[in-house]
Amino acid sequence: MIRGTRGRLVGLFRSSALLRNNSRIYNNYNRRRDVLVLKSLDHVRCYSAAVSAVKKLVDDVSLEIHTDIQAAAKEQSEVRNNAASTSNKESKTESEAAILSSSNALKHAYQENTGFGTRPIYLDMQATTPTDPRVLDTMMKFFTGLYGNPHSNTHAYGWETNKEIEKARKHVADLINADPKEIIFTSGATESNNTVVKGVARFYKKTKNHIITTRTEHKCVLEAARSMMNEGFEITFLSVDENGLIDLEDLKKNIRPTTCLVSVMAVNNEIGVLQPIKEIGEICRKNKVFFHTDAAQAYGKIPMDVNKMNIDLLSISSHKIYGPKGIGALYVRRRPRVRLEPLLSGGGQERGLRSGTLAPPLVAGFGEAARLMKQEYESDHKHITELSDRLTKGLLSVEHATLNGSPSHRYPGCVNVSFAYVEGESLLMALRDIALSSGSACTSASLEPSYVLHALGKDDALAHSSIRFGIGRFTTNEEVDYVIKAIVERVKYLRELSPLWEMVQEGIDLDSIQWSGH
Amino acid sequence: MGAVGPTRIEVLHLYKQLIKNSRLFNDYNFREFFLRRSRESFKANKHLNDSQAIIDCYNRGLEDLSVLKRQSIISQLYTFDKLVVEPLKGSR
Amino acid sequence: MFKNIFRTTASLATRSVVITTRPTYVAPSFIRLYSASALNKEDVTKRVVDVIRKFDKSLANSQIEPKSLFHKDLGLDSLDTVELLVAIEEEFDLQLPDKVADELKSVGETVDYIISNPEAN
Repeated sequence: MIRGTRGRLVGLFRSSALLRNNSRIYNNYNRRRDVLVLKSLDHVRCYSAAVSAVKKLVDDVSLEIHTDIQAAAKEQSEVRNNAASTSNKESKTESEAAILSSSNALKHAYQENTGFGTRPIYLDMQATTPTDPRVLDTMMKFFTGLYGNPHSNTHAYGWETNKEIEKARKHVADLINADPKEIIFTSGATESNNTVVKGVARFYKKTKNHIITTRTEHKCVLEAARSMMNEGFEITFLSVDENGLIDLEDLKKNIRPTTCLVSVMAVNNEIGVLQPIKEIGEICRKNKVFFHTDAAQAYGKIPMDVNKMNIDLLSISSHKIYGPKGIGALYVRRRPRVRLEPLLSGGGQERGLRSGTLAPPLVAGFGEAARLMKQEYESDHKHITELSDRLTKGLLSVEHATLNGSPSHRYPGCVNVSFAYVEGESLLMALRDIALSSGSACTSASLEPSYVLHALGKDDALAHSSIRFGIGRFTTNEEVDYVIKAIVERVKYLRELSPLWEMVQEGIDLDSIQWSGH
Repeated sequence: MGAVGPTRIEVLHLYKQLIKNSRLFNDYNFREFFLRRSRESFKANKHLNDSQAIIDCYNRGLEDLSVLKRQSIISQLYTFDKLVVEPLKGSR
Repeated sequence: MFKNIFRTTASLATRSVVITTRPTYVAPSFIRLYSASALNKEDVTKRVVDVIRKFDKSLANSQIEPKSLFHKDLGLDSLDTVELLVAIEEEFDLQLPDKVADELKSVGETVDYIISNPEAN
């Protein structure tokens, strides 16, 4: 029996290319059986007995594992509905009722769409990207055979894994024209950013006490900087103009003799705006201040060169470039040397800057993802730009729709659009067939508008009505067309329900109205 | 010199295998991506003349094919609901 | 010794590909029903044309006849033709050998080959 089951597994593995349906496996299994019988003549007798049992198993067990997104979505919405109905049974406001009725009405729209699947289109590439199958393929062997600890240098298991790690490190370094020795693997961009902001500041705290960053940084940089205030540091948060770009003169003015670090993100995660990294690098180098850039959204997507751009520290995330989640990297310049105090104490791996055993499957997957970003750069760039232009054109054809952030200095894969007179949350609710995120990172009911859009000078209403569209390598033309159609239809629909829109249509200037109540 | 490049039939056969295996992906986005990339890269190298370059391309194609073969199977083993842009019947 | 076994495994594995994809092995009585009754020239032509229209959206409204040549009339290069034939293989559940596929130049030739092929359905 055991032998039979094993035989079946062997058969499945060898013939995996044929695994299209059960009958094929079955056929193949019989072939396998013949081979196995040939192979071990002494087991022939017990084998035929096992065969019938195994045959049954093959028929009963499905190899396919199906994940049902609808069930999860339904559960989620039921939980939300229950929570909503119990908490404000009486205080249901008119606007909530309007949202409910509109989403009910929109349900019909989905039902008309029969004959198609139900899983939403994924357009939230700034949050994370799907893992490229080629990356998974690289990772698989680390879960099946290459399990050595890369830091074990006494045996072949360690050596072979270590070799793969170093290969990955080279791929990661190549993309930004760095030396592999300058790459430190971390758990992700958040850790990299924390390591830099806290580590550099702490190392130089005897002589320096000032950090410069911007108001549109990712939360992890802002929070890390804020926490350094408690350690006696002064932080300058540079403002941005209405395009989301910082003013270089402003930066120059703010650099002091005691400034140890300037941290400016390359591509903004909410609006896709690309800061003038090369110019900032020049200013920093001239003033002998370390320049850190959070390149989580930029790495591999726009050309970057740490030497040409005078970047001293650079944070990278793997899962934004179709790699596995849970890993990232930090580039730390060696000449002129950048010193920082590590966050973690331990065995001194990664040049002593990040102790702890590396995760070889993740590192190798990350390396492959980086290699693919380089290999596919031309193709990805062309594809994403085409789709982005098409999407932007389609969305801006809607009345009172505006693109947030600079139209020229941007990464095309991130399109952030505000639809005036529509509530962002209700639009997102009406767009359950598209996986999107509003400009604000917060998706809960607290309705806190995006601090990034605020920094651009947008008012609350516009910040609330903005939606971020993320396009990636795997997005198709068809999907973009679907999204344009859906947005145009539903914005129109929601506006028809909106009293504000009615007033706008009648030519009333909304700013002239004195709002009463809360 | 002396390296003999793949024949026309061999190249077309490789292309056919890449297309076939791409089509096997259950995941809509991966399927469309690999189809698009296979087409793009073959068309871009259509007029390749240097025999060493042809051999290199061909060998890279073979490597890609082996990845596609493995990954298309995985895509069929772990399936998800169809996307809203995918027709439920006769999608292929 | 192991080498030999492995070779047997490999050859059997490749052979089983062919076997499993052909309905011929189901039961002999089925075959005749399949090939003789289901496929007539008109149907096959219509299905082939449908596949072509679906394959290349730019051909959706153009005239496609049996005498249409893939390259000259439909503007398909050798790579497009290969891809089209993959779609046709799937539609009719058959395998076109590379040599045959390379010889097929027109819609009519393809239809004729499909009809002459007992595996098609």
